[in-house]
Amino acid sequence: MSATVLRSRLEVAGTRTRLLQAGPAEASEAVVFVHGNPGSAEDWERLVTAAAGAGLRALAFDLPDFGETVAPAGFEHDVPGYATFLGEALAALGVQRAHLVLHDFGGPIGLVWTAMNPEALASVTLIDTGILPGYKWHRLARIWRTPIVGELFQATATRSAFRFLLNRNEPRGLPREFVDQMYDHYDRRTRKAVLALYRATDDPGSAAAGYSELMAPRDVPALVIWGEHDAYLPSSFATRQREAFPSADVHVLPASGHWPYADDPETVERLLVEFLSGLTT
Amino acid sequence: MPQTDPHPPIIENEAADAAVYDAVIVGASLAGCATAIQLGRAGARVALVEKQPDPKAFKRMCSHYIQASGVPTIERLGLLEPMIEAGALRSRVHAWTKWGWIAAPADRAGQGINLRRELLDPLVRTIAAETPGVELMLGWSAEEVRREEGAFAGIVARDREGTRRELRGRLTIGADGRDSRIAELSEVPVKTYPHARFAYGGYFEGPAPKYSPDSSIWFLDPQWAAAFPTDGDLTFYAAMPTKDRLAEFKADPEAALVRFLSDVPDAPPIRESRAIESVIGKIDMTNRMRQVTAPGLALIGDAALATDPLFGVGCGWAFQSAEWLSESIAPALDGAEPLEKGLDRYRRRHGKELRAHAFFIHDYANGRRFNPAERLTFSAAARDPKVATLFDAFGTRQIRPQQAFPRILPRAVAVNARHALAR
Repeated sequence: MSATVLRSRLEVAGTRTRLLQAGPAEASEAVVFVHGNPGSAEDWERLVTAAAGAGLRALAFDLPDFGETVAPAGFEHDVPGYATFLGEALAALGVQRAHLVLHDFGGPIGLVWTAMNPEALASVTLIDTGILPGYKWHRLARIWRTPIVGELFQATATRSAFRFLLNRNEPRGLPREFVDQMYDHYDRRTRKAVLALYRATDDPGSAAAGYSELMAPRDVPALVIWGEHDAYLPSSFATRQREAFPSADVHVLPASGHWPYADDPETVERLLVEFLSGLTT
Repeated sequence: MPQTDPHPPIIENEAADAAVYDAVIVGASLAGCATAIQLGRAGARVALVEKQPDPKAFKRMCSHYIQASGVPTIERLGLLEPMIEAGALRSRVHAWTKWGWIAAPADRAGQGINLRRELLDPLVRTIAAETPGVELMLGWSAEEVRREEGAFAGIVARDREGTRRELRGRLTIGADGRDSRIAELSEVPVKTYPHARFAYGGYFEGPAPKYSPDSSIWFLDPQWAAAFPTDGDLTFYAAMPTKDRLAEFKADPEAALVRFLSDVPDAPPIRESRAIESVIGKIDMTNRMRQVTAPGLALIGDAALATDPLFGVGCGWAFQSAEWLSESIAPALDGAEPLEKGLDRYRRRHGKELRAHAFFIHDYANGRRFNPAERLTFSAAARDPKVATLFDAFGTRQIRPQQAFPRILPRAVAVNARHALAR
């Protein structure tokens, strides 16, 4: 079943975020996609369509200062700030039960929200993200976290440098239009937001044990998809998601990198649709 | 399968005179049977000793793919037609890489052959048993090797009831596989090369893979997967991941194999298929390269060179090494020259044909990712039919590395340069 993606704006938390949605608009249970860095609601168009095709309401929106969405004055560019925004957006959209689909930094943001609202989590799909016990920041993050060096890096991130950097670590390369679209959204606001977000996140692995203790007894349905060649978040973390989601279905895609939904969209779509369909039948 | 006497009247006991053969072959699998057929046809008297008592025994852990390099030998053995009649498929290879599928033009690609070992092994054994001069001894194991005047001169075999028989031969041939007992008893020098992958595979019935009857392999760098269509509308699916993935395969081999194959790009229809038997695996695949001859002794097949199954060369090289040995010692068996001259000829032929192949195979077996030369070659082969044709000839082992690379590399550089400029 093919679904049409509607594009609109959602007034929430003092901003107007770009919203992609498809499927039954009034449903209180929805598949909610949360992008990472750099990323935007655009990352999810294909999967929003696919999830709606499975009969579910599907939603994706920009996080503040990503994509086309400007953060309101005083917005806290840290994980709790973004998790609060996520909660407010879901409330504004009337979502009471969420099937979260998280990628990259969308992982910590989404998982913090689930820790605050465990009853509202219907399922979780983790794409190259999740709990990261013992994780130390990757090289690029360390650059962003270093004052002056991070600013210099962002100031010199030209389109060609951006393409080179992203593709350098991707086993199959990423589609040109995907990278260019990402760069189009990588404006001054986003660059500042990235620095702030990474600098506010000292130890990305510190919450793993507590989170697992909280969530594991619930055994929430989970799908884990991880590109084996992820240069930022190693695929060895894929099976460790079972510490928080004991029954997780784990797929390490042997030819993918950090963006499996971009370098192997067919496989990611198949896995997601099968997972969601299995939950609703 | 003809009736074979499990206790041929060779000697009644150890004290009696030993039976004397031109060749005593240990191992009645592909290499041993092929050698027995060829030597028997040349007029030699051959003892073919096999520890498995069942004439239908077969090697279970095998992809069964026979590279194009081995097909002419199979044809000369008279096996090709019986194999086709048994349902074998002629099969080219399509190789997935991150640069795209590599496939030589159909009229230039090497054609291998696929037939399950369950059918192939008894077929070859039957032909060997029916060959004049060949005495097939099923259920007998090599217990000792005999030495006379500094040369190997046969074996002492033992059956399951403990009866021992001495089988003397001018030439003792070890065709008993990767863990060759003959090689062990004769203490020939061996070099080992570590293998950092493991293998699981099994036969499935269901929809045919995309390129069927051609085979598909996925170079996932460093992981590897394959789909080999074969007789009976079956497909042998296989995965050779690096050992960090072992836990999930050990926990549930079939589920892990299905998940692995269905998660590769351009995935084959394994999820719509059903395993017809247990998915089985092999975890230790240490490569072994042995000195292939000693006075009065020759090793063939995996006993001579047990190399990475990833490249599907074992079956083809079993047939080919059998033929090289048979041809090399034919003059000696006719009395035209000393046996050692023939063995030396075999040793040189084996090294010339396989040593360079083995070097590259062993180098990749350590679980590493592609090196720059491989990236250059694979990417160009995915983009250019001429490079793909050379790549195919090399991969199907029809040309040696030293013949392939001087032709592939310059063209690969040019192809990739053109590709870069066109972007």
